[in-house]
Amino acid sequence: MAQPENTDDMRIGIDVGGTHTDAVILDGDRVVAATKSLTSADVVSGITSALDTVLEDGAVSQKQINTVMVGTTQFTNAIVQRKQLSPVAAIRIALPSGKGMPPMVDWPSDIKDAMGDHVYELHGGYLYDGFPVADIRDAEVDHLIHDLIAKGLKNIAIASAFAPMNAEPEIRVSQKIKAAIPDARITLSHNFGRLGLMERENAAIMNTSLLPFAEQVIGSFLDALKQRGLECPAYVSQNDGTLMNADFVRAYPALTFASGPTNSLRGACKLTGLQDAVVVDIGGTTSDVGVLQGGFPRESNTVIEVGGVRTNFRMPDIIAIGLGGGSLVKDNGKQVGPQSVGHKLVSEGIVFGGETLTATDILVASGHADIGDSTKVSSISESTIKTATRTMHAMLDQAIEMMKPGGKDIPVVLVGGGAVLVTQGLNAASQIHRPTNAGVANAIGAAIAQIGGEAERMVSYRQVPREDAIKRVTNDARAKATAAGADPATLKAVDIEETAIPYMDEGATRLRVKVIGELSTAGKS
Amino acid sequence: MKTIDIKHLDDLALGSVFLATGGGGDPHVPKLIAHEAIKQYGPVSLTKPEDVPDDAFIGTIGSVGAPTVSLELLPSLDDAANTLDAFEKYVGRKIDAVASFEIGGGNSLIPIVAAAGKGIPVIDGDGMGRALPEAQMMSYAIAGVKPTPAIACDYAGNSAAFDVSTTEIYERHIRSYSMAAGGMITAAEHPMTGIELKQSIIPGTLSFSVKLGQILRKNRGQADTLLKPLQQAFSSSIYGECRLVYTGKVVDKATQIVGGYDIGEATIEAFDGSGGKLVISIKNEYLLAKCDDRLVASVPDLITIVDYETGTPINAERLRYGQRVSVFATGCPDFYRSDAALKVVAPRCFGFDIDYVPIEDL
Repeated sequence: MAQPENTDDMRIGIDVGGTHTDAVILDGDRVVAATKSLTSADVVSGITSALDTVLEDGAVSQKQINTVMVGTTQFTNAIVQRKQLSPVAAIRIALPSGKGMPPMVDWPSDIKDAMGDHVYELHGGYLYDGFPVADIRDAEVDHLIHDLIAKGLKNIAIASAFAPMNAEPEIRVSQKIKAAIPDARITLSHNFGRLGLMERENAAIMNTSLLPFAEQVIGSFLDALKQRGLECPAYVSQNDGTLMNADFVRAYPALTFASGPTNSLRGACKLTGLQDAVVVDIGGTTSDVGVLQGGFPRESNTVIEVGGVRTNFRMPDIIAIGLGGGSLVKDNGKQVGPQSVGHKLVSEGIVFGGETLTATDILVASGHADIGDSTKVSSISESTIKTATRTMHAMLDQAIEMMKPGGKDIPVVLVGGGAVLVTQGLNAASQIHRPTNAGVANAIGAAIAQIGGEAERMVSYRQVPREDAIKRVTNDARAKATAAGADPATLKAVDIEETAIPYMDEGATRLRVKVIGELSTAGKS
Repeated sequence: MKTIDIKHLDDLALGSVFLATGGGGDPHVPKLIAHEAIKQYGPVSLTKPEDVPDDAFIGTIGSVGAPTVSLELLPSLDDAANTLDAFEKYVGRKIDAVASFEIGGGNSLIPIVAAAGKGIPVIDGDGMGRALPEAQMMSYAIAGVKPTPAIACDYAGNSAAFDVSTTEIYERHIRSYSMAAGGMITAAEHPMTGIELKQSIIPGTLSFSVKLGQILRKNRGQADTLLKPLQQAFSSSIYGECRLVYTGKVVDKATQIVGGYDIGEATIEAFDGSGGKLVISIKNEYLLAKCDDRLVASVPDLITIVDYETGTPINAERLRYGQRVSVFATGCPDFYRSDAALKVVAPRCFGFDIDYVPIEDL
């Protein structure tokens, strides 16, 4: 059989998770090769072996690959486990407001300790209408720099009041620090967009504490690619399903938080071609239910905590229910989960010779799958099988009902190892899709990611006409996307959010624009 | 309850969002400030209105401004106490205790910050029993207490004094000052004697908010399981009736600024799409709930929207398309069902062409 002719758009997607490292080669829309392997302790050898497998399986030479995209949970895990975090100087420019409410005031003490709890408050910042909160005081800045040098602090986070509208105080203090401490690594909060000084400041602090680790991680990614002869550009995926180039992720590692679920949803979009769907990722312990809207994950609007710290990161709206292949089956099948044997399924499940009745045992007993030793489940009663099967489908139905937009039925995409548990129709689904290669949806999601940019400002439609204001903010967003590696010609606005501000003058609005486009290198070799 | 300590603050803040009926702003930052104030100055003693001497001098305190602004313009630890100092200097008399003007949202916590800093008690009660958008809707104003003399301070300690003829004029002036001063100020107002306080305050709401927060925390989970414990708490309080009126998904939410208010509607549809949709009318707060044009609840009764999965109340600013929610309706204190109160808080006062019907009669 003749191989389909290769397009110019061959890419590799890699997903580095806590347990598995997956890799795929995509040629345009076609999956050329896919592999799932265990994440190695050093991460790098897991990546190189995954690369070896896909390149060999796909009979693809390194030269044919245009780009490599990596999704990783390493930075989220570092925050959650309080590992690999560097000491940070957290500087807020907002005095006299916020006196007695220093940066990190509401952080859990273990993560605060891991970062050294070095906080500074300076006069400065702006009000909503552009009037200064206070002027920056040179003596305060000099004193700050003196203290940073004395303490040897080089990882620095700076946040000023209303920086998304006017970042000048952050930039000015940063320049002075850079002049005095040339090797300082500085994160400015306005690069994390959204209003909410404390949440934005928290994002900047966490980001800064990850900078030395990011240097190391990105260095080892690039080494792994180089070792395998891949000299094409490499990108890392972020939480909104778009990409960052290596330099960008070195500066903004915190933007990778929650990229895993996003990649899984984006991968489901690619595998099925569906733009609007509910995606159910069934694992060993939980099923994560998310929503694709226009090909991208629907975002959560609540305050997101990462490692116990409030942040303003963009995260997909996901609900997790306690149903997976390892879920415990109790009460003659009336209850399934939320307890699970998890990764011990292969020793504790009945079909594997164990003694715990799990969802997988029910599946095998029902004759819908041939896993382990099916003779071991022959004693399970017909009514337990029926009841448990009904319970599992009802749990999924309820979750899908809650997540689907509007009252109409919607296509449902099943991914993940536990997708086999769905043996009947789902009430809320107009169709059920089970794409091949669903097991590596995350890596596919990483491989197809685009480049985005987002900007936000408080505007007054009384002073600036609405169209001009939108144009201005869109231009800010386009500049950010282009800086991140997007081809300006392909950029389009995918989201314009206007939030009117209560109690203020009519027309005062918080305006946020997100643009997305293709990688500027894609399709070129 | 005799004192407010750090351990009460999470529950107080959570309960206050339930009572805020969608308004009142996010209490997270006020809670942090209260935490720091109690840490520094010690717990605050809580006084029941009936225990206040008739000739005591009471002031009320809270923030006035746009919740969105407070996301960036953070309060300082001593803003509230400094405002009371300025107020005492202006009126030439020491304040014996401080009261809240609004239990709903962040303003439930500001009097505690002030009381901690000044070393005086806070009164167990407030001027609304919920959140409402305008000064003339306060129980103090309805009972005839004058809003001024009043003092308002900005983030830098700049202050303005107010002496006005009516509460409506006070409302206009204080809003203008707030906008000129960065969008968020602290105001000390409605000075009154102990006897006036007893006639005008909605009593017990501070300790009730703590109790409500405890219930929401201990019963965290799907909203239907919350109903019973909530009913138990409300039935023995000044509020009375509590109902779970709807569960579903937000299928539409649109608001816009008109006359300084965030005005609009949210539509909620059952998860399976069956039955009528619930439409909530919003003017900063959730004011009206209708199902197929049938009135389900209206202001001044309380309409609260909670996250379906956790029972956490959601304020109007954070309510959005796709959220899975339950809607509770709760009776208001009897004070707000009097003719004098309904003259300023009935649905018609918010531009709705319907009469107020207590939820028990719906």
